[in-house]
Amino acid sequence: MILVLPTLAEPQHFSLFEKLLFAGLAVASGYGFWRQFGKILDKILQSKKDPSFRLFPLGKRIWEFFWEVLCQAKVVRERPLPGLAHAFVFWAFCAFALVTLNHCAVVLGIGFLSPRGQFARFYFYFVAAFALSCAVGILGLFVRRFFIRPKWLGEKLSYQSGAIALLIFVLMATYLASFFVTDASLTARTLWWLHTLALLGFLPLIPHSKHLHLVLSPATVFLSRGGFAQIPPLSGDEDFGLVAGTDLTRLVSLQAYSCVECGRCTEHCPAANTGKLLNPKEIVLGLRGYLNDLGPASEEPLLGKYNAQEAVFQCTTCGACEFQCPVGIEHVPILVGLRRGAVNTGVWEDQHGAKLFLALERGSNALGLSPTERDKFIEKQALPLFDGTQEYCLWLGCMGGYDPKGREIVADFARVMNYLGTSYGVLRKEKCTGDPVRRLGNDLLFQQLAEANLEALAQNKVKKIVSICPHCVRTIQEDWKEYGTPPEVEHHSEFLARYADRLPKQINDENIVFHDPCYLGRYRNVYDQPRTVAALAGNLVEAPRNRERSFCCGAGGGLAFLGEETGERVSHNRAAELVATGAQTIAAACPFCNTMFRDALAATGEGAPELVDIAQLAARGLPASGGS
Amino acid sequence: MKIIVAIKQVPGPDAQVRIDATGKWIEESDLQFALNESDAYALEEALQLKEKHGGEVIVVSAGPERVGTTIREALAKGADRAIQIACDDLGTRDALGVSRLLAAAIKTENPDLILTGLQSEDLGLGQTGVIVAELLGLPHATLILHVEVLDGAGTQAQIKVKRELEEGWFQTIELPTPAVLTIQSGGNKLRYATLMGIKRAKTKEVRQLTAAELGVDSAPVVLLEQVSMPQRKKSTQMLPGNAQEAATALVEKLKFEVRVL
Repeated sequence: MILVLPTLAEPQHFSLFEKLLFAGLAVASGYGFWRQFGKILDKILQSKKDPSFRLFPLGKRIWEFFWEVLCQAKVVRERPLPGLAHAFVFWAFCAFALVTLNHCAVVLGIGFLSPRGQFARFYFYFVAAFALSCAVGILGLFVRRFFIRPKWLGEKLSYQSGAIALLIFVLMATYLASFFVTDASLTARTLWWLHTLALLGFLPLIPHSKHLHLVLSPATVFLSRGGFAQIPPLSGDEDFGLVAGTDLTRLVSLQAYSCVECGRCTEHCPAANTGKLLNPKEIVLGLRGYLNDLGPASEEPLLGKYNAQEAVFQCTTCGACEFQCPVGIEHVPILVGLRRGAVNTGVWEDQHGAKLFLALERGSNALGLSPTERDKFIEKQALPLFDGTQEYCLWLGCMGGYDPKGREIVADFARVMNYLGTSYGVLRKEKCTGDPVRRLGNDLLFQQLAEANLEALAQNKVKKIVSICPHCVRTIQEDWKEYGTPPEVEHHSEFLARYADRLPKQINDENIVFHDPCYLGRYRNVYDQPRTVAALAGNLVEAPRNRERSFCCGAGGGLAFLGEETGERVSHNRAAELVATGAQTIAAACPFCNTMFRDALAATGEGAPELVDIAQLAARGLPASGGS
Repeated sequence: MKIIVAIKQVPGPDAQVRIDATGKWIEESDLQFALNESDAYALEEALQLKEKHGGEVIVVSAGPERVGTTIREALAKGADRAIQIACDDLGTRDALGVSRLLAAAIKTENPDLILTGLQSEDLGLGQTGVIVAELLGLPHATLILHVEVLDGAGTQAQIKVKRELEEGWFQTIELPTPAVLTIQSGGNKLRYATLMGIKRAKTKEVRQLTAAELGVDSAPVVLLEQVSMPQRKKSTQMLPGNAQEAATALVEKLKFEVRVL
């Protein structure tokens, strides 16, 4: 039996009237597209340039473009089923390129893919497979948006999305149906015109909706800032951050117009998940609304009608939003930029914020304590002082130097280093690295702290730093770069993991759940090393939201120093999740996470799991000698 | 309203103080300096008055070159301009000498109001504001938390001030301007220095003056003989009996054992 496969039907002859009609509609459609798109392109190009943007090296950009745009990796990985459906729709768009070109060429008599030809026959079937998966995909996405209605897509139903879904479906259906009719039939001609009308109707809709991402997002992903949660330096004497429209840069404007309103950012935001005003999606759309209404040359404040100052200061800078965004929007620099605009100009009035700033203006640490307290701790623990000859400088940080729990972590880490025979010392004096003021947008104070620290480290001949705090590590390695060359720095989990085979392993059946700190996981890509260390003391279990999806403890972004939060406490939300794993021990790798959970677990009451740092777990197995 | 705020740069709150080689002052070489705490509140009160009533805030400070940093900090927080009086060895001077310098500089400005901090964190004499008032022949009030302007903002305006007394008591006084007020800490929430403030401060005027230019003899009449660290001794004695008996025993001890009476 011979299997005769159908071929794609293409009307062979179009009348002059049809040709003119097509040409007229195509021009109108193109004009409709360009009229709106041109306006948006103008707004992006009229925004001020990003002075610190470097296009090279291209390698990483090309890879990310390939992986995230072409392969739709993030789209699928973070929301598998809807992501896959979207991927099929996207791939169909790509596959259809030649088909669409040919489709339009055919009416003008210059069709180049004859359905009888070898290549064309194969290509049309190839595309048909995509058309089928796209049609199924778009149907599924339609059902999800209009029937399942996940809350991250927003309260209001988007009829515009429905219309677009319908057009896409029509495009796929008309294509597939064309396999089952003959060239000369009226049906073929009707299908051709339906397909054309759907196409020409779609085009002008693109710049009027979030479907603009079709055009912009490949560029947005390609033109990322280069690092994760990367805060750009201020440029010149008049730059105070994102104060008004005139401060919006091209990258920010491009990103604002690329938002697909998918809500992945909001879905993972600790503030949005605990009843706060902050909603990362609305921040981006607020900027878009500002640009639409007022444009990039406006002096009206960005925080006011379009975005609330209160919301902006509820951000912990955990980075979950930026990490999730499939179209390359970088939320953290936008939020910090808006904060800078309010703090650098003195517009932000917050009694706790002012207290933090004044403590660091006059003193050396964020807690407002006398440095003699730190001196007493060093003396009591008999920590060696750094004298330029040791390999490592052990950086205590504000928490390690002044907080009781932070000090316990330092003490145990020092015990482990002594056991390993590591040569290390602590500095006589330390100033806060400036992390909280950096994330709150106080560039004056941050510059003072960074410069003072860099000078002190150079004078003390510090080459390598190991720290128990991921915030210190990040600030030293990345943020200080703006003011000098920081020494090498690593987190104590990275250090301990290297020596894990020399540290005693304890055999027991204790379950340990490790909480990934935002500034170690998403910010630094360190997920395995702390687990290696924690595994020395028991069996590892995982929290539902773990690794790059870890849910913030609530302390970041300077929030540990600000007042009472509204809504549910972020730390309580996360602590409840960790407790629910049934683990006997919660392992932390950040003194801030530790302090936040200590509070939250105290509210849990009896039967709360033990809370320890991984350094304390590593130290547990050490012989209790007197020589530490 | 033209308001002058006299500020002093003192060793920072975390300073580890050591006596210098002469034994007459502290070793300054490795100290961090900061704006005197009650002066910061004086500055804040002045800035709030300016925000409410308009006018100008001028800071004046006497000291070595390093006070320039503190003056710039005050300008960054909102003062409009500054007067810096070159004066080395503040440690050898007394309150009268410094007050003469300040008063001479202030006189040239003809201000409506002069604010100083209640006392300095290093010497803690609490006299400078009062002496300045006397030298300028102006009324003064001390321990002020808040200033309220009563009629208009001209030179005949009355002000109403709130003084903090002991035990939670407050006193309200009205006085004419120009006047000198010494400001107590804690009356307002202090503002933080901003980047915008510092950038703007770069273009604000800092007038440099010397004692000679002011035509003032600022030599001390009170000489500081010696500075020493207090002996750390701890001993607690509970004095028995009722209030009368305990008081008598205490006076005896203060007279004959501690020898301060």
